[in-house]
Amino acid sequence: MKIGASLQTRLALAIGLSVTLLWLAAAAVTAHRLGGEMQEVFDDGLKATALRVLPIARHDLREGDERGDPVEHDVNEEGDDGETRIGREARYGEDVTFVVRDRNGQVLLASTGADASIFPPFVKPGFLRTETHQLYYDASFDGSLTIAVAEPLDRRTELSRKMLLGLLLPLIVMIPFSLLAIVLAVRRSLRPVRLLRQELARRGAQDLSPLPDSGLPSELRPISAGVNQLLDRLKAAFNAERAFAANAAHELRTPVAGAIAQAQRIRTETGEELTGQRATEIETTLKRLMRTSEKLMQLARAEGGRLQTDEPSDLRPVLQMIVEGFTRTGEGRILLTLPGGPVLSRLDPDAVGILFRNLIENALKHGPQNGLVEAALQTDGLLCVANDGAVLPADATERLAKRFERGSGKVGGSGLGFSIVKAIADRTGMSLKIVSPRPLKHEGVQVQVKLPLA
Amino acid sequence: MRVLLIEDDTALGAAIRDQIAADGHSVDWVSRLDQAGDAIVAAAYDLVLLDLMLPDGLGVPFLKGLRGRGDVTPVMVLTALDQVSDRIAGLNAGADDYMVKPFDLAELSARIGSVARRYAGNPNPNITLGPLAIDLAARSVVLNGKAVALTAREWVLFEAFLQRPAQLLSKAQLEERLYSFDTEIDSNAIEVHVSRLRKKLGAHVIETERGLGYRLGQP
Repeated sequence: MKIGASLQTRLALAIGLSVTLLWLAAAAVTAHRLGGEMQEVFDDGLKATALRVLPIARHDLREGDERGDPVEHDVNEEGDDGETRIGREARYGEDVTFVVRDRNGQVLLASTGADASIFPPFVKPGFLRTETHQLYYDASFDGSLTIAVAEPLDRRTELSRKMLLGLLLPLIVMIPFSLLAIVLAVRRSLRPVRLLRQELARRGAQDLSPLPDSGLPSELRPISAGVNQLLDRLKAAFNAERAFAANAAHELRTPVAGAIAQAQRIRTETGEELTGQRATEIETTLKRLMRTSEKLMQLARAEGGRLQTDEPSDLRPVLQMIVEGFTRTGEGRILLTLPGGPVLSRLDPDAVGILFRNLIENALKHGPQNGLVEAALQTDGLLCVANDGAVLPADATERLAKRFERGSGKVGGSGLGFSIVKAIADRTGMSLKIVSPRPLKHEGVQVQVKLPLA
Repeated sequence: MRVLLIEDDTALGAAIRDQIAADGHSVDWVSRLDQAGDAIVAAAYDLVLLDLMLPDGLGVPFLKGLRGRGDVTPVMVLTALDQVSDRIAGLNAGADDYMVKPFDLAELSARIGSVARRYAGNPNPNITLGPLAIDLAARSVVLNGKAVALTAREWVLFEAFLQRPAQLLSKAQLEERLYSFDTEIDSNAIEVHVSRLRKKLGAHVIETERGLGYRLGQP
């Protein structure tokens, strides 16, 4: 199946993708905003450090002045007040470094590990960003001391990466779950559609009973109502066609029977040879007309009527009756073999009758003059009608089925009989097979139809 | 035999009537079920030929009604309904035979004979009666190896005796069998036919029970 061909897949994909994208977008916006907030917090921290360090530095320096030790290098000196230094470092944090310079830019005080090269010279108080650090500058109110506090940008980047990860992790865990939930929800919501589809697929061409519309969601109700309406109309049309075929058969048969009987009477009653011949010709023509119209009506029945009944019935009497019909009209070449027990099928007995009659007629017509036609029904519903005679080549067998299709223009004689059989087989889903030579023989043709059993 | 033909198509009905009459049976032809009902009550028929779709109703319920009243007269259905289900319905309703239109009149004659034989309890059309070899289906009688030609009327009369070998048949019964409602009956027609049969088949082929009627004898 093509992706997107099913409504279910399409819905699941659309909802799943949008939800995923929206979540990711929300996470991105959150991350962005948090990033901004974090920058501010960090900047505030930097500024606070500077503001805190500067007075302390001044104080230290003044005390240092009094002790005659004007330049105290915090970094390099192994001084006696190491305790103070440790406390300071703890207060400033490991990554934040600072330098305190005098008016001439001379470094008076620097934090442990402070690298002077990362501090550009003081220009004005405020923030400054270099390639590697974020810095904050400040100056004492008399301008004698400036302080630069630096924090490496790496640290901020790493922090925002950690934050982003913290935001994304739950998402990564949740997205598959929510996708699964979406798929399940979509499946569940589309259940009525699936049931409707199955219901429609399950029924064969013959089932015209209305769809059950109970429990259908409101979107589907118009569809099922529409389908039911269509089925009703179809049923009515089928019934009309069936009634027409039946009526036409009756309306045609009786007058033709009358005319044939009259012609036969003329032939018996007249002493004149010519009149007798004429009567015979009329009779022959009428019989041909009857055969042709009969085949056309059978075809109409096969194509239009309902070929299935609600109650299964035994197929054997139908076949028996057809063979009896042939026997009564003087055709004694048919050998019918039937199983001992009933063979029940939902097929319309009339359709089976039409099918069987045409198969027998074909076998009689195409077999040798005095050859036997063997018909057999098996318990599994396989109906075989076989005659002796020339073997049909494989391609001819194939052509046979095609040539006899409707529209070949051949009416009467050969042609319609097989199209009737084909129409019935097609419409009831039966498989039709022509085997030549007959199984276990060197010659002959066997036509097999698998009748569906109840 | 006395036959009731129920058929509404004029051309077909007339042809069937003529065919059966030519076979020597007497025929009453009606075209409606109500007339058929009246006729069946009025006369004893040996066979009913019934069309299934008539102007005043369907043949199958009519047949069911007939059988429901215990009437066992053989009924042959002649119909345009050709489907297996129609045939099953007709036979289940009690028809003895079912013929689909159009049919050959010769076949109709043959089947009428076959139904009559079955009804008489002897489906075998070949009867041997002393020196007589009779083929009911072919309507032929052979006396000592020589074929005897019988007229249609003579045959029907002879057949009446053959079908009820032990039974005494009154003159009225035989007349009813020979003639339909609308034909004038010659007062001594039966005597004439019986004497011709005796002449052709042997003096003792039909015995006379004085004042009562006739029965099949031993030729």
